Amino acid sequence: MNATSIESRLAQPSWNGRVNSNKSDFGSLDRDADLMLRVRQGDPSSFGLLLERHRGPVIHFFYRMVQNQAVAEELAQEVFLRVYRSRESYEPTAKFTTWLFRIATHLGLNWIRDGRNERRQGSLDDDGDGAARQVPDRARNVEQELVYQARLGEVRQAIENLPSKQRAAVLMHKYQELEYAQIADVLRCSESAVKSLLFRAYEALRSRLVHLA
Amino acid sequence: MECSSRQAAERIVAYHAGTLDPHAAAALEWHLKACPVCRPLSAAQQAVWSALDIWQPLPISPDFDQKLFQRIDAEERLRWWQRLSLPRLSWRPSVSLAGASAALLVAFLLRTPASVPTSPAPAQAKFQIEQVERALDDMDMLEQIGVETARSPI
Repeated sequence: MNATSIESRLAQPSWNGRVNSNKSDFGSLDRDADLMLRVRQGDPSSFGLLLERHRGPVIHFFYRMVQNQAVAEELAQEVFLRVYRSRESYEPTAKFTTWLFRIATHLGLNWIRDGRNERRQGSLDDDGDGAARQVPDRARNVEQELVYQARLGEVRQAIENLPSKQRAAVLMHKYQELEYAQIADVLRCSESAVKSLLFRAYEALRSRLVHLA
Repeated sequence: MECSSRQAAERIVAYHAGTLDPHAAAALEWHLKACPVCRPLSAAQQAVWSALDIWQPLPISPDFDQKLFQRIDAEERLRWWQRLSLPRLSWRPSVSLAGASAALLVAFLLRTPASVPTSPAPAQAKFQIEQVERALDDMDMLEQIGVETARSPI
């Protein structure tokens, strides 16, 4: 297999999800597992479809988790690489998104654990490239833009101040809209433990962000 | 349900997350109108929910997929190389065994020939002594018959 082979195969219109992307095809909950089983059978176009569907949610999850877009994309690459590596041993025992976010959360929590001190130093220096790259909205005037950036900074800080597991739970609940059972499966804990995590996390967020109402 | 309980707060969180079933949502809305404990909690949760909506994700790098496919292809090439290398790896013990045997054989051969050449050497020396003796006898005989030889005094 040469350097462009998988890319060139995915570029064929009949295979590529990006070219023939039809979101209405994904009605079934088992669609992802079905695609993954096709990847296991050697169909690279199905991997392209999975990537198309989950690239954004995984990168956005990481971005809010680590607050750095470059790191978020690097971690997301690792997630999809692991998904591809695991294709031969994949068994649809859980929902694909649960499995995917279990890999992502594991990587994200490890990154936070291992790089906490360096990251804190980095965020003091350059705000971790997140806010700096937040594109200003042309519809807002300068004053509105300043207010918006200040509010955004508070939200980011409030999320960053959460303990890592609470942070992961909130991000999956709020932005990925995963159910309690799925979050429990991802974090390998009970549903009541997830509810407890979310209760404490939202309690902390309420105390820090209620003035933004 | 106690309004200050954790379950009540979880219900309010679920309501703002939109995961409460319609019947329970309607009942909570009715309750919120009158409850002085739940109403501020619901307002605070609404504030958090709206604040979190501010944080929109950034655009993804256009070369994200390309980088990923390059990494996948690099791994695939490595796997192929490892597969090709595996048979060689399995021969390695026999190759080293053969090498060790060859080294032992060479050492043995280098050691044993040292004693073998001893047999022809004495025979050759004996032959040379006999030849010298014969030459000396011949010279003596020639001297006796008056022929000048190299041994004769000048």
